[in-house]
Amino acid sequence: MSDGSVKILDGNTFVVSDTRGDIEASLTDPTGLFSYDTRFLSKWVLTINGERMNPLSVDDLEYFESRFFLVPGTGTVYVDAKLSVIRRRAVGNGFHEELTILNHADEPVDLRIRLDAGCDFADLFEVKDALKKKGTYSARAKGGKLVLAYVRGTFGRSTVISSSQPARIDKNGLGFKIRIGPHGKWSTDLDVATGALGFEEMGRTEDPAKARRRMRQNLARWIDQAPRLESDQEPLRATYRRSLVDLAALRFSPQVAGGRSLPAAGLPWFMTMFGRDSILTSLQALPFTSELAATTLRALGDWQGLSVNDFRDEDPGRILHEMRYGELTAFEERPHSPYYGSADATPLFVVLLDEYERWTGDRALVRELEVESRAALNWIDEYADLQGNGYLSYERRNKKTGLENQCWKDSWDSISFRDGRIPGFPRATCELQGYAYDAKRRGARLAREIWKDTALAEQLEQEAAELKRRFNRDFWVEDGEYFALALDPEGKQVDALTSNNGHLLWSGIVDKSKAKAVVRHLLGPRLFSGWGVRTLAEGEGRFNPIGYHVGTVWPFDNSFIAWGLRRYGFKDEAAIVAAGILDAAEFFEGRLPEAFGGYERSQTRYPVQYPTACSPQAWSTGAPLLLLRTMLGLEPQGEHLVVDAALPSTIGHLELLDIPGRWGRIDAFGRGRVDVEARRR
Amino acid sequence: MLAKAKGSARFDITDGRRTERWRVTIDKGNLGVSRRNVAADCILRVERSSFERAIAGKLNLMAAVLRGEVGIGGDERLIVLLRRLFLKPARRRRSQPARKKP
Repeated sequence: MSDGSVKILDGNTFVVSDTRGDIEASLTDPTGLFSYDTRFLSKWVLTINGERMNPLSVDDLEYFESRFFLVPGTGTVYVDAKLSVIRRRAVGNGFHEELTILNHADEPVDLRIRLDAGCDFADLFEVKDALKKKGTYSARAKGGKLVLAYVRGTFGRSTVISSSQPARIDKNGLGFKIRIGPHGKWSTDLDVATGALGFEEMGRTEDPAKARRRMRQNLARWIDQAPRLESDQEPLRATYRRSLVDLAALRFSPQVAGGRSLPAAGLPWFMTMFGRDSILTSLQALPFTSELAATTLRALGDWQGLSVNDFRDEDPGRILHEMRYGELTAFEERPHSPYYGSADATPLFVVLLDEYERWTGDRALVRELEVESRAALNWIDEYADLQGNGYLSYERRNKKTGLENQCWKDSWDSISFRDGRIPGFPRATCELQGYAYDAKRRGARLAREIWKDTALAEQLEQEAAELKRRFNRDFWVEDGEYFALALDPEGKQVDALTSNNGHLLWSGIVDKSKAKAVVRHLLGPRLFSGWGVRTLAEGEGRFNPIGYHVGTVWPFDNSFIAWGLRRYGFKDEAAIVAAGILDAAEFFEGRLPEAFGGYERSQTRYPVQYPTACSPQAWSTGAPLLLLRTMLGLEPQGEHLVVDAALPSTIGHLELLDIPGRWGRIDAFGRGRVDVEARRR
Repeated sequence: MLAKAKGSARFDITDGRRTERWRVTIDKGNLGVSRRNVAADCILRVERSSFERAIAGKLNLMAAVLRGEVGIGGDERLIVLLRRLFLKPARRRRSQPARKKP
């Protein structure tokens, strides 16, 4: 992998090591074995006769398994390979490592093998913010095993390390004194198991071989059930396959999902349940799998906010932002149990439920989630209209550890005026109004057709129409002909030109008469880089082509912009955006990062990855899927799937076979015809 | 709020060396409570003082489970839905009273 680290994962457990398979974490360094936001192993170093290993190659067999081929001796010019070392590692409950040493010489060898082990039991938040621990550590050999533990009051976490071959165990690791015959082989199975007091889920063990088989079968089934993609473009096929595999890897079964899975946000920081990310990824993936959406809706519904709680920024009906499982959350030093500070997840919950039903026809789930959906719709007006002006806005009540920006552009400087000034709070960002509008429209359909509540349907439709009328008046920047990024606390327009305009098209809140001007901006030189639409337009005060939300290009953002362009009939423009992002994917071997630089395409020739972007990341993984949907023009209509392809000329032909939905399975075909080269400048 | 939950939960409430066992059955909104020591779909082990805080709506179940103050087993989804039993009385609305929308 690009940063020289090797990552394997399963659900909420992952291992990050160097290319030797060693782990030597510092407090600020995100390597180690992590499970449920806690580091269970921060040191894991192999030496033979006192020497470290030298990596020859790494084989990433699957996302949950890798194999390291090593020789002893730190690599200088020449490596004398009389010994080969193979570490085969798979994630399970903790991880399992098969250590094999081969003697290639004609004589026997005597070896001292040593595995140094240690753990800081850091909370992921501590790794991120470099904080100090409050509990006590212990390390002891017990019953042939090394037990590392951390205790703080009733909170306890442990790591138990054992070996199939007899080992000398001390509190710093395991040692073996062995002799391997000429051309002989020695091997041992090492098991690193994670444990927690009072939390049974984490203590479950599964036979490693069985676990590997289960995971392999699960992945095969996942790929098998997804539609098949045929195209003359090999990179497109590769990107599609990469997306499916990464999406499988990023699935996560939270406590509430009963073994079913939903998308976690990304590795390594966000391997947990996120409202916004899970919803948007589920939307992107709907034409390919509806399982993620169903699980996401159920899990988020179960955890829906119940009362007014300032620490968690919780309100009745609010959909959670983020759930964490580490020590800081346990002791309520962080509010993620769960934290509700997101202003968009709640309307998007209703949007996803409606879109899910349009694809699957699963009315039972819509009925099952009626109470939650009504509470979500109620939240928009009862709790989120902070200024009583009819607009959804946000301002955190947890001033210490809550989130300042509760929209997807959540970094501190993401919301600004043209001249770079930052507005006060509450902030009513524009896309939130779009989501609220869409939630009301879609909620009205569900109310009328499934909950059989005509009065609610009419009320929601009326509110939506009213919101749209006001929005097109209050957010429209007359002299620029686009929608303002937000309204500030005085109701003034925060007038920077941003990609958020594309989300407005997706939501349908834009007056038809204004769409053309908006599209001109999205595909114009200030926003469109040639690879995609920038988060903030060139020329704005805070524009920076490698600024997190102020100039970079986000693949996920672009996939929804493309969907918005289609919604308003701009097929060719949607194809241009899709082509740019899919071209970029090629440079990342099909795995789009969270964000890449907003430099002109003609200037850099390749997309420059944003320095600390998460990868793989769920909604970037979902972006190619949504782009396929938009290029093929897939749209459920009643019991049918409408196909209306508009492909970029860079793709000769494209077939998506066996698209699942309420119609059974349907195939979609398209041929490239939109001349993207000419439009790219 | 518990309309779709169906199942039984046993609360093992410890107080020193004594343990009281309460079994709550939930059937589409109907609650039943008994003091029988029988199996249930999920089990919550909690000290009396913590349980009292839970009843008063002052204990966050998720955080308490994470720090080992409440032990859980069995049907996890049911446990999440049980949060709805331990609600603090509703507080004020968040939104300002609506000004007249122009």
